[in-house]
Amino acid sequence: MIELAAPRPLTLPPAGREHRSEASRLWRDFARNRLAVIGAIIVVLLYGVAITAPSIAPQDYRAFNAGQPLKPPSAQHWFGTDRQTRDVFSRVLVGSQVSLSVGLVAVALITGIGVSLGALAGGIGGRVDEVIMRFTDIVLAIPQLFLLIAAAALFTPSLTTTMLVIGLTSWMSTARLVRGEFLRTRSLDFVLAARSMGASTARIALRHLLPASVAVIIVQATLWLSFAILLESSLSFLGLGVQPPTPSWGGMLADGRVDMQRAWWETVYPGMAIFITVVAFNLVAAVLSTDLITTIDVLLIGAATPGRCGGTIARRARTAPGRRVRPRRESRSGSS
Amino acid sequence: MTAETRAYIARRVLLLVPLLVGLTLIVFTLIHLAPGDPAAAFVSEQNLDPQVLAQIRKNLGLDQPLPVQYVIWISHVARLDFGTAYTFNQKPVIELIAERLPATLVLQSLALIVSLAIAIPLGVISAKKQYSILDTTATTGAFLGLALPSFWIALMLQLFIAVNLGWLPVSTPGVDESGPGRIKFLVLPLIVLALPTVAVFLRFVRSSMLEVIRQDYLTAARAKGLSDATVTYRHALKNALIPIVTVTGTQLARLLGGAVIVEYIFAWPGLGALAFDSVLHRDYPVVLALTLLTGAFILVVNLIVDIAYTFADPRLSFRS
Repeated sequence: MIELAAPRPLTLPPAGREHRSEASRLWRDFARNRLAVIGAIIVVLLYGVAITAPSIAPQDYRAFNAGQPLKPPSAQHWFGTDRQTRDVFSRVLVGSQVSLSVGLVAVALITGIGVSLGALAGGIGGRVDEVIMRFTDIVLAIPQLFLLIAAAALFTPSLTTTMLVIGLTSWMSTARLVRGEFLRTRSLDFVLAARSMGASTARIALRHLLPASVAVIIVQATLWLSFAILLESSLSFLGLGVQPPTPSWGGMLADGRVDMQRAWWETVYPGMAIFITVVAFNLVAAVLSTDLITTIDVLLIGAATPGRCGGTIARRARTAPGRRVRPRRESRSGSS
Repeated sequence: MTAETRAYIARRVLLLVPLLVGLTLIVFTLIHLAPGDPAAAFVSEQNLDPQVLAQIRKNLGLDQPLPVQYVIWISHVARLDFGTAYTFNQKPVIELIAERLPATLVLQSLALIVSLAIAIPLGVISAKKQYSILDTTATTGAFLGLALPSFWIALMLQLFIAVNLGWLPVSTPGVDESGPGRIKFLVLPLIVLALPTVAVFLRFVRSSMLEVIRQDYLTAARAKGLSDATVTYRHALKNALIPIVTVTGTQLARLLGGAVIVEYIFAWPGLGALAFDSVLHRDYPVVLALTLLTGAFILVVNLIVDIAYTFADPRLSFRS
């Protein structure tokens, strides 16, 4: 019994070291990397700005400055004023609220749906797996922006709709990655050991497979924070996202587009805000997965490769650093 | 071709049928879940006569229960009949799409070709001179490029290149422009579409090359005295490009999605602009047809890519 449960020497945690969880491994890798820390600081600052925006903004984002339409940046209006004489800097600050909250809610949805479906498919297998993965294939075949604009327009555009439609149309790559992770971990010794001790499928999935997939899920969620922000700004730019008077970066770009020739500040600054936010989240995600490029590759593969084919690419995705998971020692499974 | 490979291909082709049926179900459900009455598109707000509305609903078949509507719709779709548009002068949907298709095809295929033409050589050099200045620049560029919203790139190009420098037109004048005169309208949309795609391809070519470049058969080729160029391009690149085939297939969905924004900003008269307009007008037949056709197109392309893959890489084996 003990021999059956004992992992191969290679997979033993280093002697003399206490067992590290996936989360603590991520944290250790993370703190070592300077770029990640910069990214994280920007992210924290952004959330700080978003929370305090109404009080730190020099002006109310709705306030008019009579007789000062389209004024270039000055000491008084750092980012200039828009056609309706409002202070662009204040609006960019308040606009962060929309982007960051849409990002959080959408990612919660994406992770919830993606992890559930991926866990069902990978944990149960067979018919369930087949149906879920084919459903995923179909949804992936429709260009996401088509789905987004159709859904956003047909259900009245609003902040809530934006969060919902982004969440409901972006879960596929997470589902695929979690399923893959489950399938891979399922055949490792510690899971076989748990199974041989009579653990149920549900117990194995929740206690053994899911914790082993935490790293992948965290990286995915961080990446989707930035992708969701990009999607939200695209929707708002097309007029199908967050509606005025609420300022959003995408919406400000749409407004500024009209006066682009005379007032560059209206389009340059909100765009920079989106860019900096997305880069900051991507930096964090990249370093979480130890290698930026692999992260992007994995995301694209997860979001893109159809069916179960795709030999080399799938193989590479499987060995990507971000997806590396250490089998854990199974000391507790004996009590189950 | 082994029996397993043949069985795999047969299974994939057969699988296309349930996938397409599933696609129609999803698209249909999505559109009909939405609140709002498509018949309302036909009557003006002022004289909203319930009788007229009921008659219109009847004519459009909207009074039938949903499953019946689905069966009627799908039997038409099977004959490639997507009905007539509610707006757009009530033209047949298939005609509308055929009208707009060439513009999108030109733009998309050019974007794909340009991206590959830039990304493959850059990726090869990047991989060969790993961690060189060029490699670092390309990697950083790709990273930053993926963080730029495409519509903002479009606006900035319009602002600096079209407006400030006046080198290129801001957007398309209309549908009639054709021939060589059209090229100058193509450049900016092309750049916007190609930038993120170059970033993606570059990453794949680079990592794919890095993987191949360390393999024994390349050392053997070099040992035999072949020139560096021959080894790189004849031996390494050939194998490294295999995964790129799959990525190219999967980038299509991305490119087509991007068409909505690019065509909207540059007033390019293609399918993306049509999709956007039909969504705004709640023109259900057009939205249904566009979503369904692009979905089906991408499913079929993915199938072809996967099959091509089995030919391109005989090392792959399939368990049934």
